[in-house]
Amino acid sequence: MIPRRFRSLQVRLAVRLAILYVAATAAIIGVLIYRAYDTAGSLNERELSLRAADLARHIAVGSDGRAVLQLPASLAAEYDSTHDTDIFAIRGVNGLVIAALPQSFGALTRPWPAASDDPSFFHLKDFGSKSQDYYGLSISEDSVAGPVSISVARASGADMLVHSLLREFVMDIAWIIPLFVIVTIVIAVLVIRSGLRSVREVSGMAAAIGPSTTSVRLPDESLPSEVTPLVAAVNHAFDRLAEGFAVQRQFTAHAAHELRTPLAIITAALDAMEGGEELMKLRRDVARMNRLVEQLLRVARLDAVALDVSDTVDLNDVAANVVAAMAPWALTQSRTIAFADARTPVRIKGNANAIEDAVRNLVENALAHSPAGTEVMVVAKSQGSISVADRGPGVLLDEREKVFQRFWRGKKSIGHGAGLGLAIVKEVMKAHRGSVRIGENPEGGAVFTLVFPLDGAATPASVHNESS
Amino acid sequence: MRLLVIEDEARIAELLAAALTRAGFTVDAVGGCEVARAAFAVATYDAVILDLGLPDGDGLSLLQKLRSEGNQTPILVLTARDAVEDRVSGLDTGADDYLIKPFAMTELIARTKALLRRPGGALGTVLVAGNISFDTVGRDVRVGSILVLLTRREAAILEHLMRRLGRVVPKTLLEERLYGIDDELESNAIPVHIHHLRRKLLDAAGTAEIHTVRGLGYVLTDVES
Repeated sequence: MIPRRFRSLQVRLAVRLAILYVAATAAIIGVLIYRAYDTAGSLNERELSLRAADLARHIAVGSDGRAVLQLPASLAAEYDSTHDTDIFAIRGVNGLVIAALPQSFGALTRPWPAASDDPSFFHLKDFGSKSQDYYGLSISEDSVAGPVSISVARASGADMLVHSLLREFVMDIAWIIPLFVIVTIVIAVLVIRSGLRSVREVSGMAAAIGPSTTSVRLPDESLPSEVTPLVAAVNHAFDRLAEGFAVQRQFTAHAAHELRTPLAIITAALDAMEGGEELMKLRRDVARMNRLVEQLLRVARLDAVALDVSDTVDLNDVAANVVAAMAPWALTQSRTIAFADARTPVRIKGNANAIEDAVRNLVENALAHSPAGTEVMVVAKSQGSISVADRGPGVLLDEREKVFQRFWRGKKSIGHGAGLGLAIVKEVMKAHRGSVRIGENPEGGAVFTLVFPLDGAATPASVHNESS
Repeated sequence: MRLLVIEDEARIAELLAAALTRAGFTVDAVGGCEVARAAFAVATYDAVILDLGLPDGDGLSLLQKLRSEGNQTPILVLTARDAVEDRVSGLDTGADDYLIKPFAMTELIARTKALLRRPGGALGTVLVAGNISFDTVGRDVRVGSILVLLTRREAAILEHLMRRLGRVVPKTLLEERLYGIDDELESNAIPVHIHHLRRKLLDAAGTAEIHTVRGLGYVLTDVES
């Protein structure tokens, strides 16, 4: 797996650009330095040739008929001042030294062959009073005294100027090139960022798509053309998912019909029969099966289709409806249900039917676990909660997480439930971004509290323990 | 008393018809919208029991069509719970009552009778709960054959409870119906009336009982159920 940050387009581009710039800079500087030295070398050569020609011009024929070097005062002074760096030797046709600076250089060149018109180059090591290295050339020049061989040389340290120029140049480049690299990379990153902004927006839209919003598709108008195939593919995937959800919904509906009808027939047939205790038991079994089928379908629906929780719901009404619906049945079980509203409307965003379903499951549980003759208390509170309190045995601390698992039934389970009721409650609360809490009734028994976020303020969906 | 049962599942239709016949009704059972409309053309029904899932059309649209044609026959709708959630608004537009499947046959018969006892309903003016009967025209209440004397408000409360036998009648609804805007309403007015009513019914050995659903209202149950 590639580390996450190296998968970022910006980082990748910046890294590659940086490598490219460094390599290019190195190559350019290398070429420039080579060219500079090359040019400096040819410049040196030209200068030496010029000096040789210059020296040849100042050769005159002396009164004794011998060739002599008559330098003008300024040039002589110049050579004097640089006698350690610039040296020369002039030899006549006969090989005799006409003039040399210093004399030792003249002595050195005497055995050399006569120079030709093409310059020949030489290199002197550890020569002169300062034991310097000299580079020079010998060339044959015409003078008033006939052709002369002129050897001129310059100490190798004398091209300091070229070196310092190069150093300055490299320093300038070193300054400017990294700056240029940084500026270019920043610009590139900014361009990518702004280019990817539309991608980020579309990502936000994609993140909001869920089972309840299967019809949403991502727009590709504003996107870079490189990304549109991905978006199109994602949209196609959404199409297929939406189809899958539709199939699931149909399956749920079909399953509902297929299971309910035979059960309804059995229920009605048993109702019509007259008989003894066995028939009563059968009726109870069928009632249990009916309930199980309804709960299974409820769970399947909650799994397949996200609840629409956009309606405004008054928790007082919801709780009152459940109490009204359950109270007559409770009376037949020798139990009563009492209700306390919040006195003020408790409005939340939610799905009234689903919340009623959750409260009904809690009340059914409470009635099943309460001893005969006791009262189940349903309370709506202005803090956005509905609680159902019973006088049963309560819920053990270590079972408070487990009771919400599907098909979980306690060891001391009394009722005939399938263990789906509380799983449904949890799913409903999750869809509402609320929570279910289990507490203890101060008068003995359990208190189940459904807590809803008020004003759409989101709290993480969870199941809490609450020990009071 | 003639009822029309519109239910596509033959076995259920058969069992419904049998149960309702035993309860003393004359029952026609049909399996679809078209047949139902044909039945309406040739006979007059006192009440209709309509299953919403029909093979040749939506039960709700049949309901709306009947109502738009001025047919005021009381209609009891049978539906599954999730269908209620999907179409609650539809149920409001014309059904007189609805039962969620699965239901007990006794509940269906009780609801049907309640529909027929509504003002203008075929069962006429006498409400019955246990051995208590209430003639809503003559305003006299009998337990068995003994006349029980009730005040105007006690009688009104009992009428509401008997019309919704076995179901909770919210206290707020009783307050709205019994007291005008100008009437001084004390917070314990209804409980006091209920208390008196209970004692009178008990004294006359009535077999229906008024239960309090604390915080919500009252429910009348007959002892049999």
